Amino acid sequence: MYEIQPGPDLKEKLEILSDAAKYDVACTSSGVDRAGKEGFIGNSVSAGICHTFAADGRCISLLKVLMSNHCVYDCKYCKNRASNDIPRATFTPDELCSLTIEFYKRNYIEGLFLSSGVIKNPDYTMEKMCETLRLLRTKYRFNGYIHVKAIPGASGELLYSAGLLADRVSINMELPTQASLSALAPNKNMLNILNPMNRISGTIAAHRVAIGKEARLERAGINDHLVNSIFGKGSKVTKEAIAGAEHIGIETAGSQLPAINDTFMYPADRKDALLKRPFAPAGQSTQMIIGASGETDLELVRTSQELYKSFDLKRVFYSAYIPLNEDPALPALDTAVPMKREHRLYQADFLLRYYGFQADELLSADRPFFNDRVDPKCDWAVRHLGDFPVEVNTASYDALLRVPGIGPKGVMRIMSARKYSSVNFQMLKKMGIVLKRAQYFITCNGRMMFNIPMEERFILSQLADVEQTSERKLLIRNDDQNAQMDLFSDFNLTTGVV
Amino acid sequence: MRIYTCSRNWDAMLTCIYEAWTSRLGQQNIRLELEPVEQYTLFNEYIHVDVNKGKADSVADAIVEKISSYVYYELTFCSMACEKDVLDNIYRVLILGFAYGPKVLEMVQFKDVMRNNEIRRRLGREVSRFTEAVRFQKVNDSFYVAHIEPKSNLVLALGRHFQDRMPSENWMIVDDVHLEAVVHPANEDFYLRLLSEIELEALKRTERTRDEYTDLWKVFFDTIAIKERINPKLQKNLFPLWARKHAVEFMD
Ligand code: SF4
Repeated sequence: MYEIQPGPDLKEKLEILSDAAKYDVACTSSGVDRAGKEGFIGNSVSAGICHTFAADGRCISLLKVLMSNHCVYDCKYCKNRASNDIPRATFTPDELCSLTIEFYKRNYIEGLFLSSGVIKNPDYTMEKMCETLRLLRTKYRFNGYIHVKAIPGASGELLYSAGLLADRVSINMELPTQASLSALAPNKNMLNILNPMNRISGTIAAHRVAIGKEARLERAGINDHLVNSIFGKGSKVTKEAIAGAEHIGIETAGSQLPAINDTFMYPADRKDALLKRPFAPAGQSTQMIIGASGETDLELVRTSQELYKSFDLKRVFYSAYIPLNEDPALPALDTAVPMKREHRLYQADFLLRYYGFQADELLSADRPFFNDRVDPKCDWAVRHLGDFPVEVNTASYDALLRVPGIGPKGVMRIMSARKYSSVNFQMLKKMGIVLKRAQYFITCNGRMMFNIPMEERFILSQLADVEQTSERKLLIRNDDQNAQMDLFSDFNLTTGVV
Repeated sequence: MRIYTCSRNWDAMLTCIYEAWTSRLGQQNIRLELEPVEQYTLFNEYIHVDVNKGKADSVADAIVEKISSYVYYELTFCSMACEKDVLDNIYRVLILGFAYGPKVLEMVQFKDVMRNNEIRRRLGREVSRFTEAVRFQKVNDSFYVAHIEPKSNLVLALGRHFQDRMPSENWMIVDDVHLEAVVHPANEDFYLRLLSEIELEALKRTERTRDEYTDLWKVFFDTIAIKERINPKLQKNLFPLWARKHAVEFMD
């Protein structure tokens, strides 16, 4: 191990510390709209902006780096673990600020995503990160997006500062059960992750209420129309919501949490509070590693659902495990990266957040993994042929949204068009509905597009075909950014989960 | 068929709409086209319309009053689009708008409204694409210049975005294709500037400026990709070659 010296070798530091940060998935700059101000640099656009795409096809929106790749912990799956002999480096706060500002002015990035290995101890590390963010917000007058990773075990006071300085705070869950954490991340434990997560979500809610917003984050508008949505009226934060899921780490640890959505309480004249910024206005997110431990898809999706419901997380990200270290507790080094599985989980995550599905509708104890051949929505539809076909001109939001080939935007357009005239297949096509998929499940004024047998095996094989062609065309869309674009770039409805 | 033609500028388009509207020839016998007209035909009568501020204002006022300011804004946005039929389609949508009022853009049972929404979405995507892909070069201590090659005349839309993003910097975005630029002096409003060929040639030189941060950016860009997941086809789908043209991370 050798230490990179500050000064001339900024390039080398950047290389080491971006290389060490690349396995973190989240790179989105979304979740908050903030106008620019004279004398400052930067604004924020709620839909997020991807500036470029790296050679792996993942979007680059933020300068994603570690403050330091020194780490006193020894998580088995991590390249930066203490027991690895690798070059180490630490940015100075000013180096990080100049990089952010200079990249930002050239329109390379929307802001900074700062994470870190544990230098000395969690408090020391978090303090260094806060110092950087404080400098960026004050001396460098940066008004763009900041995502900061909270270090598990850091004091409440420091996490509070971090939330006041950043737009989004996240704590990586990495593994969804205490058993997996004990096996693979011996220095971490579930309570150390859930406790701060809980208090961050409580503090976000308190800050929102203080400025006259609803306690819970705004969700995609479509959820207001859905009876079954996990964000619907019935999804208030309750102990019962947490206790609802069985065999999930959250549940076991949840009962030990002090109170659901506890807040950080500090005097309003704390220095970072004087900046008068809202606390993490873009919400909180987390990440889980897929395929390093033995969880099923069902366990993962249930965990996500609970995180959304109990802690009002803005996003849960999934990261296909890439074998970096040799260890008997881990998959072998030549294990393939489970990209397809990660892709299916993102699709399922979309179904929870935009389509009014619940985890237990998608999978069950005797079918705990997603179908390899068709996406989770088609898979569900084919198993529920009795609910179809639905009549496009009269069906409810929920029913339309469950039709493969129709997404939230499509439903909104259908509903809007229905007000003025009856809708036919020609119009659906123009609205961006993927008839190749939808045709098996809908009627327009009582008629199907073609006379097709409503037979499970037939439809399944047809849909698998559609899936393959669209996946061949687009390859596997390998991270959430791409899925996000599907929905937000308006009409890209031929891909992803629709 | 009578064809009214005008240059690509909003006042000229409004004047053109005014002339067509008041001609009373019957909507099937009229078409509106943007200049340059691609192919003249013998059977059509072509009438070139020049800007008339008074006529343009009266159309603008009528749209805001009788339809809505939202529809007005949407149509000004669409008018930047490169589609050949954009002006004619705006005209058709207006006729529907005067008949049906502020909800006109939702009435997708009309093919002109459908077409308008199609153009709007494509243009919206193009604007977003350039919002992402614009790359400024630092030309001197306090001046940043970017070059783009869009299909549509969309620099004004970019001006709006970047004015909010960097209100206190001096910058300029140059459209190399349509010879126009938005210029933003620090702490002031941006403005549109039409460029001569000579000016453009001079400005093109700014693109070759490189500094320490251009290099650092390339280091970051290369390092952040996970080699186990390299996927150039996916990268190309998400960031097509035409859009990368001025992105410094793809240049040598
Ligand atoms: S805490 Fe664990 S996961 Fe984080 S850098 Fe250290 S070893 Fe890696």
